[in-house]
Amino acid sequence: MLIQLNSQQAKLKDELREYFKGLITPELKTELNNPEHFEGGGPEFKKAMLTMGADGWIGLSWKKEFGGKELSPIEQYIFVETVMRTGFPFPFLTTESVGPMIAEYGSDWAKEEIATKILQGKLIFGIGYSEPNSGTDLASLQTKAIKEKDGYLINGQKMWTSLANFSDYIWLAARTDFEAKNHKGISMFIVPTNDPGFSLTAINTLGDVRTNATFYENIKVPDSHLVGEINQGWSLITSQLNLERLALVNHGPVEELYKNVLELAQNTKIGNDQSLTDLSWVKQNFAQIHSGIEALKLICWKQTWIMESDQLNMAEASVAKVYGSEFFIEAYRLLMEIMGELSILKNDSELKILNARLERMYRTASILTFGGGTNEVQRDIIAMAGLFMPRSR
Amino acid sequence: MDFSELSHQQEIRESLNKIFSEKCSPEKLKNFDNEFKHDENLYEFLATNGYLGLGINEKLSGSGEDLYDLGILFECLGFHAAPLCLTGCLVDVAQTLQKFSKNDNHQSIVSSITKGEIYTSAILEPLNHDPENPTTTAVFDDDKIIISGTKYLSEISSLAKGILISASSNKGVILALVKTDNVKLTQLTSTANSPLFKVELKNVSIEESDVVHEEGRGLEALKYLLQINMVMRSYIALGVTNKMTSLIASYTSEREQFGRVIGTFQAVSHRAADCFIELECLRLVNQQASTNLNTNLDCENDALVSKIWAGNACHKISYSAQHLHGGAGVDRDYVLWRYCLLAKECELINGSASQNIERLGLNITANQ
Ligand SMILES: Cc1cc2nc3c(=O)[nH]c(=O)nc-3n(C[C@H](O)[C@H](O)[C@H](O)COP(=O)(O)OP(=O)(O)OC[C@H]3O[C@@H](n4cnc5c(N)ncnc54)[C@H](O)[C@@H]3O)c2cc1C
Repeated sequence: MLIQLNSQQAKLKDELREYFKGLITPELKTELNNPEHFEGGGPEFKKAMLTMGADGWIGLSWKKEFGGKELSPIEQYIFVETVMRTGFPFPFLTTESVGPMIAEYGSDWAKEEIATKILQGKLIFGIGYSEPNSGTDLASLQTKAIKEKDGYLINGQKMWTSLANFSDYIWLAARTDFEAKNHKGISMFIVPTNDPGFSLTAINTLGDVRTNATFYENIKVPDSHLVGEINQGWSLITSQLNLERLALVNHGPVEELYKNVLELAQNTKIGNDQSLTDLSWVKQNFAQIHSGIEALKLICWKQTWIMESDQLNMAEASVAKVYGSEFFIEAYRLLMEIMGELSILKNDSELKILNARLERMYRTASILTFGGGTNEVQRDIIAMAGLFMPRSR
Repeated sequence: MDFSELSHQQEIRESLNKIFSEKCSPEKLKNFDNEFKHDENLYEFLATNGYLGLGINEKLSGSGEDLYDLGILFECLGFHAAPLCLTGCLVDVAQTLQKFSKNDNHQSIVSSITKGEIYTSAILEPLNHDPENPTTTAVFDDDKIIISGTKYLSEISSLAKGILISASSNKGVILALVKTDNVKLTQLTSTANSPLFKVELKNVSIEESDVVHEEGRGLEALKYLLQINMVMRSYIALGVTNKMTSLIASYTSEREQFGRVIGTFQAVSHRAADCFIELECLRLVNQQASTNLNTNLDCENDALVSKIWAGNACHKISYSAQHLHGGAGVDRDYVLWRYCLLAKECELINGSASQNIERLGLNITANQ
């Protein structure tokens, strides 16, 4: 047994860290601090994406024939970790899950026009799964695509379509068979956001993350915009979500924040020649976070290690999702406790930058517990697949 | 023993809920989301209808000194996310002056507060974890006292006529009123957009008659202020978490997934039930702390217990509510988000649960 990165992996980490130092210019940083550009989409963000495309950093998990790097899951994890530590809103969903799907299952047009441009950093996708009445029960979705001569006519409404306000296409799940059982009648489409039948309204959230309600009115797409077989979309959705899950609970960002707060606390004087870290409850909070991060890191590493030999166990994937998403919430709380009342202030505090980041992290933390497959359902999976218990009702 | 609310308390609760339901509707609250969060009209309304005299002696134009009456007001303010921050004025200033000052001027300040005059306090200091030992200093100089230091999280200070300040002097801790005109105010931006200020005092000169307690009783008065502030803020926390729990109940009783109401999933109903348990505990420890403070000016452990429960309940119930609502909970067009932000302020102001647990631990293990 050996539980550490090997020397190439460690080198990759260093290389990536250096690379991002150069990529993230002060202009880009300023842009990303603007709430309007938290998720990307601004001119500096677009420039950085093109650079990354040209430098061959997009498409790590893609097959070599498409110009990808075919990196192992561990290297893939390191990449995600390093990007997330920098705070750059890398569009993982486009590049690492939708992209490879299109490259593999898309039509000739999609492979040439879409996949290659994703690799070049030129295209961004929004994910169109959720609807007003279909959240956790995604398979009940009602947006429909009706087969017509040489194409499909799409009508419906999606909810929470993040990035749609600056994305080029929507990766859209629509019902194509109305007789079949729920998940057997769904197909995947590439829908251009510049179609006149496409519209959206903004949804502003607690964490200042902007998302959108998107509307599809008589949008006609040619056959080439169907990805995979007709009525076989569900398996594309589930494999996409599996890819997404591990990236969501990457231990990088929380560890970065923990380190930053620790350093700050060590240097923060609280009177009587004491620093914040001299208080025993502060030590306790740090120790709790530390031991929590260790477990998260190991869960994630083990999963990526398992994925290398391709036998991803359902229970373990769910363990990572539930533990990670709930740990983030507790970790942000413990860190905010340490910074105390200062962490509810967004300006005029000596500790301004870090506190503002903490303050925002706690506001966005809940999304992961119900998004990406809600934790109740993940717990059901753990009981069934991990403990072989009967299915809960 | 009697856990029931007296009939006048039930009446206060009913009428406050009626007033706030109308005056703090989501449409009205929206007006304050990006503005200075202080509803002048509502404040005046509360003043004219006698609600600012809760917990204050009848002789000072109040409606009686029972702190539970005042707790109801704060609970209702929290429940309706009312755009009013009143602990500085109604708790710190009014209660401390009423209990500790023998000065007629101060007594008439309390009476003016019941009629809508605004005062506030500035007690907390950045990175000072021990508010009983202010870093702000007071120097006695003939018949003057010179005060210097920096305070923060002072409520609605720009509207206040005077600010109650804590400071350390060679005669021990003092609490004194300074004129707002003599300090420098900077508005802070807080997570719940509360009207909080940094207060800087540079050699501010006051008279001895501005000290609001008898000589030698400063620490006692400050301890009382800190404790009653903790408890009254815990009542805000109670209102906030109560509202979140009731939103959980109503939303999960209507929202359907998989062809059934989500509240019928056991995991959902159990998590909601856990919120209810948390809430019940918080209510009881608050009631104990406020009734004990009615008869005893020093109930530090009771206050800490209520603060610890408030901190934990705010955290747990906020994330349970967000989780059980799914995406709808974080949408700023729905009402929950304001409560989540308020919950964070209630959790952290006056120290986090971790910090106060240690403090309580020190208290209860100290040799008497
Ligand atoms: C900021 C944000 C960004 C998002 N971005 C996207 C995006 O880009 N694309 C996209 O398609 N979607 C997106 N989503 C939507 C997200 O995937 C959904 O919120 C999620 O699937 C949950 O659905 P829901 O919100 O309808 O909640 P619901 O499904 O209504 O769930 C409400 C509650 O019921 C519980 N529940 C539901 N079913 C069960 C069950 N069987 N057993 C026990 N408990 C249950 C849930 O756990 C939850 O607590 C986003 C959401 C947010 C908030």
